[in-house]
Amino acid sequence: MKLTELIEPLACEVIHEGSNFTNTKIENVTASDLMSDVLVVDKHNLLIVTSLASDQAIRTGDIVGAHAVIVVNGKALPATMLKLAQELDMSLLISPLTKFMACVRIGRLMNME
Amino acid sequence: MKALPVNPDQSPLVVLDLLFKLKIKDVMTAEVITVKRTDSLRKVQHLMRDNRISGVPVSENGRLFGIISIDDIIRALDAGHIGDPVERHMSVNVVVLEEDMPLSFGISYFDKFKFGRFPVLNHNNQLVGILSSRDVSTTLLLELLKEYRKIEAQLPHHAPQPSGKVSQRFRVNRYDFENAGKASQAIKKTLIQRDVPPALVRRAAVAAYEMEINQVVHSTGGNLSYEIDDNKIDLLAIDDGPGIANVEEALGEGYTTANEWIKSLGFGAGMGLTNIRRVADEFTIRSTLGSGTRVHTVVWLKKP
Repeated sequence: MKLTELIEPLACEVIHEGSNFTNTKIENVTASDLMSDVLVVDKHNLLIVTSLASDQAIRTGDIVGAHAVIVVNGKALPATMLKLAQELDMSLLISPLTKFMACVRIGRLMNME
Repeated sequence: MKALPVNPDQSPLVVLDLLFKLKIKDVMTAEVITVKRTDSLRKVQHLMRDNRISGVPVSENGRLFGIISIDDIIRALDAGHIGDPVERHMSVNVVVLEEDMPLSFGISYFDKFKFGRFPVLNHNNQLVGILSSRDVSTTLLLELLKEYRKIEAQLPHHAPQPSGKVSQRFRVNRYDFENAGKASQAIKKTLIQRDVPPALVRRAAVAAYEMEINQVVHSTGGNLSYEIDDNKIDLLAIDDGPGIANVEEALGEGYTTANEWIKSLGFGAGMGLTNIRRVADEFTIRSTLGSGTRVHTVVWLKKP
């Protein structure tokens, strides 16, 4: 699935487009607010769904090689988060949905059961 | 001096391409601060001060009637008519841009007319934005950065530097979440430059990051250092205290002493040491209560 296919169903606001944004492929998703749990994930073409609106969400994403971070619950992001997303070339989006609803919709889009 | 140091006719191709690709509407500020014809110049003066702007369009229901610039305000203060309604003193012959024009057009306007900003109208002649030279330079810089990254990604792969030993040491401070992760990122970058396989880079980065976060969260500060040679990545974290009372217990999955504040930042799940052990080929921890903790992690690049 392409990352851009999530924008509308999740009502995302795109905060930062990483390079190759329109062609970013998502094959795996991890949803967590605990960055230690995210660090366990060893998957390719990874998307992180989190309600942690802090720089560490981006840094952790970078460490595990994720392509994008979606912050749920429509949380306001600290300005430093955008800066870091630019610096680390990480796509960053905000969705007003709850983490659960965001995951439900992503699951449907990816035909997961 | 030119209003903008960009020449819409003679610039590198990448820039020219951007100037045509970007439309005024991509660059303008869409949330325009406006006043009504009956508002006072005093109000405009306050709007300018509070929002640090130098021009305010006079508009009602999207229709543009004129513009008040900071010069009009200075003149009003001089002449003592700052209490007058804006319609008496606004410029009515306003030079405007249309939202679908290419940016190159907007830039030429800054040179042709000596205004600091231009209101932007849509095809229904409704005011939809305002374009300042600041908008142009900010957008251009960001777009150029994107282009630059694209070009950089297309460059032939850098020559690997497979040999030689490198090492570096970082200071890690207590509760310094702002900088937490910078050492790990530096390590990651070094490994990528040395063409270390991605799976190994990831393991070393995870280990380094957890070690760094542990120092930020639990210690009073410490050092994280790495040494990379052809055979292994060596990570060493030594902190100044307070030490772990029961190391066995601390190694247990889910064991944590982190407070709610740290948990709210996404850490302190009690998985740090477990994670380091999982990704490392060698792992040792030594701790003395009252003096400090030393964690040594090795990720092999070649099996010994």
